[in-house]
Amino acid sequence: MNSSRRLFLQGTALALVGCLASPLALTAAEGKAMIALMPKSKGNAYFLSCKIGADRAAKELGVELLFDGPVDSNAAKQNEIVENWITLGVDAIAVAAENKEGISTALRKAQKQGIKVVTYDADALADARSFFVNQATPEGIGYALMDEAARLCGNTGEFAMITASLTAANQREWQKKIEKRLAEKYPQMKLVAVRPCDDLKDKAQSEATALMSANPKLKLIMSICSPGVPGAAEAVKQAGRVGQVKVIGLGLPNENRRYVKEGVIDSIILWNTENLGYLSVYAAVALANDQLKPGAKSFKAGTLGEFKIEGDQILLGKPFLFNKENIDQFDF
Amino acid sequence: MKTPQTLERSHGWRKWLLRHETLLLVVLVLEWSLFYYFGTSVNRRGMTVGFGTLDRQFDILRHSCEIGLLALALTPVILAGGIDLSVASLLGLCAVIFGQLTHDLGLSLSIAAGATVALGALAGGLNATLIAGLRLPPLIVTLGTYSLFRGLAEALTRGAVTYSDFAPRFLSLGQDRWLALPVQAWVFFAVAAGMWMLVHRTVAGRSFRVIGFSPEGARFAGLPVTRNLAGVYVLAGAIAAIAALIYTARLGQAKADAAIGYELFAIAAVVLGGTSIFGGRGSVTGTLLGVAVIAVLKNGLATLPVVIRLNAAEEISGMLTGFLLLAALAGSTIPKLVSARRNRS
Amino acid sequence: MSRYSRELSVLAVLAAMLLALGVWAPGFYRLQPLLSLATREAPVLVVACGMVLVVIARQIDISVGSQFSICSVAGGLLAAAGWPMVLVVPASVAIGAMLGMLNGALVAGLGLPSIVVTLAMLVTLRQGLNLFRQGEFVTLPDGVQWFGLSQSVGQALILAATGVLVIVLAAALRHVALGRQIYAVGSDAEASRLAGIRPRWVTFFAFAALGALTGLAAAMNVVQSPQVQPLSGNGMELKVIAAVVVGGVAISGGRGTLWGATAGLMVLACISPALVHLHIEAYWEKAIQGAVILLAAIAEGLRRRRSDA
Repeated sequence: MNSSRRLFLQGTALALVGCLASPLALTAAEGKAMIALMPKSKGNAYFLSCKIGADRAAKELGVELLFDGPVDSNAAKQNEIVENWITLGVDAIAVAAENKEGISTALRKAQKQGIKVVTYDADALADARSFFVNQATPEGIGYALMDEAARLCGNTGEFAMITASLTAANQREWQKKIEKRLAEKYPQMKLVAVRPCDDLKDKAQSEATALMSANPKLKLIMSICSPGVPGAAEAVKQAGRVGQVKVIGLGLPNENRRYVKEGVIDSIILWNTENLGYLSVYAAVALANDQLKPGAKSFKAGTLGEFKIEGDQILLGKPFLFNKENIDQFDF
Repeated sequence: MKTPQTLERSHGWRKWLLRHETLLLVVLVLEWSLFYYFGTSVNRRGMTVGFGTLDRQFDILRHSCEIGLLALALTPVILAGGIDLSVASLLGLCAVIFGQLTHDLGLSLSIAAGATVALGALAGGLNATLIAGLRLPPLIVTLGTYSLFRGLAEALTRGAVTYSDFAPRFLSLGQDRWLALPVQAWVFFAVAAGMWMLVHRTVAGRSFRVIGFSPEGARFAGLPVTRNLAGVYVLAGAIAAIAALIYTARLGQAKADAAIGYELFAIAAVVLGGTSIFGGRGSVTGTLLGVAVIAVLKNGLATLPVVIRLNAAEEISGMLTGFLLLAALAGSTIPKLVSARRNRS
Repeated sequence: MSRYSRELSVLAVLAAMLLALGVWAPGFYRLQPLLSLATREAPVLVVACGMVLVVIARQIDISVGSQFSICSVAGGLLAAAGWPMVLVVPASVAIGAMLGMLNGALVAGLGLPSIVVTLAMLVTLRQGLNLFRQGEFVTLPDGVQWFGLSQSVGQALILAATGVLVIVLAAALRHVALGRQIYAVGSDAEASRLAGIRPRWVTFFAFAALGALTGLAAAMNVVQSPQVQPLSGNGMELKVIAAVVVGGVAISGGRGTLWGATAGLMVLACISPALVHLHIEAYWEKAIQGAVILLAAIAEGLRRRRSDA
């Protein structure tokens, strides 16, 4: 009996050693700078495509890129990972913040240790980072979505929104801007419902089906959560209401290409996420090397050229509209 | 020559060495040493970084406090043969309530904190009434309250409202140090000490194990089963509320999605610590060690170069925790099976 | 009559819900959306049927969501690699069965508590899949969706298959020896052992069956859209267990029916679309779900009290 227990103990320890004992030392020995990039959620294809651009930038600059984030959007986990990086002693951190205030504590700690901090995609508090690489402001995104929705509906009618989760900060921001634009410019239009899909394509499909059934005059479904766009599209297709109910949203070209070509989705709005990752890494590295300083008015990022800086925001540009004409040019 | 007394003593010494808690302690020391060796290095700027830094150790301590509190809350519940899946959802609800009390109602921090703990106990009372009072199965009741509490948190905030901008005085609970340790660690230690006293040194505490072993037998023995069983769920609610305060202070925000998924790790810590899920057997020390093993595992893995390169810290720590749990279960069961087979043949 | 009092009360609740919807949200009763709803929920029902077996046997399996995700991704990858659906479906079932047998081996073979074993499996399997797939969708080739047939035929096929499965399983539970043995083992394992039944094998079978059914459900899910999302099984265990419990299957084992679980699933599945049709805000959904589960638990407690008295 004793030996069986001991065996298990030894086995566990051995397994640990076997799996993890790695002779690899950290790159301290190699002298490469370490840039850490954090998505809001690791599995989200949106952030994975940011990583593609980031990897490219890291290769061009000769730095080591660490990419880690919570598996599902989780502010607490983001903090934990930032603190990991602090004790790892990375040179710069680029974070897409799930929660503005929550992440700022950890980021300030990093700054105190001499680590440079930029945020991208979703900002933290201003004093917790040097720059915010913004693909477009939430206003720009919200307005672009609302304007496109209005255009497709002829400025009148009912539409519904599918979001990721009711608590996701970024989505709340966009929703607020959309509602603001709606109230200001399109009084003839009505937002009848906002339903969460928990980042699940299938749930979005169920929600969209119910929405169409409950609101027979529904003209458009807008999904601001990227897995929700193909879900809503499939729902419209299965309901046989292609063309009667339009679908737009924030989504990735690859996931939605089929539906765009079939005419189920009219347009998806995004920005070049690869460029976002690329720009973020360039900015982080430049900060770490003291080449980019607060107060700068523009910033040159490798092969992408010059980017405007407004205050402490590095702007990628305006939101980009993908539709039937141009979607084949993109692969992410 | 061996006298009966020396035989007794040597037996006792061996027994202590092979107790579940001791083995867990060995695992803890082993993994800690492994991570210290492989996860510490000197970085480009000449700083010692990685697992071996004091900062890192404090981080581990800080992060263990909330799950640790939940695990402590679950220990008497599981000892008494019950289970509570709703503790993490209750944490979320209490966090949101605290946010509302301080922001919308403008209550002072101490009053709001007290009210939150009271409301947490009250919510635990719902579980207590249904489980101890109506004798409904704990798994189902707490499955229901798992959804209900989280749902109430979402409804109270309309899913959207986040409370932040807490007074720095409050935030220091989660972010500062006091007497060289993180503040919340002291709270955690206090609750741990209290829980240990309750479970191991009071009459009520000892009754938990009896109730878990055989509720009917306990009733026949004259123990106040219903009252004590109700008590553990109310207590769990109160502790979840305390954990909510710490969580909110650490993150600086109170949101409806606080602590989603924490209950799984809390239960894992309790079971890893040697407490039988059926009740009747276990200890608070075991739970504390279980929390420590899991926390060190999770944090330590993230410092290993190979894990960083794969950026798979969460996945690998999750899988290893699963394996560890199964190993711990098998480790306590297989010896019995083997000796039973031996006895039969 | 009193034997099925729980199931009948669930049916009553379901009827009340449907009636209320008919009065206040008649838009709910449109053929196409209902068909879509049913087809979407059919895989969940299949898993729930498997869960009934396990719960009657006095065990529980909270890893079904992760099993579902793995089988979905595996099926999707095989289909994308060119396997015909005729082979993909059995492959998915087989993978699910293997996962179920792993659970069964640990629970029945080693005598470990099922809730902790399946908890460990839930975490391990989910993280393993995340490690492998990183959340990336699996794009399916044309010809996979609806088995390459039209949507209506595909939906009819799935619904018919589910219906047949439920009927066959229900009949088997009642009339096949193994089915009755599951009830026996769930009521009193020791007594059943003395009666000549082998409780460990019966328990093992229950887990394996749940796994196989989960694999089948995953295949049924894969053919419903042109892409597979690895996260697709998230939260399924909660849904299925809640459905089973609401449907009158006792968590203490030994009693319960498939049609009760079906009614329970229908009650829970209708909550979300009901909220949409009644224009109630989405953030009430979890609270309502929790309340439904609690009410079901209370009903079960009352039933037990009445039968004990």
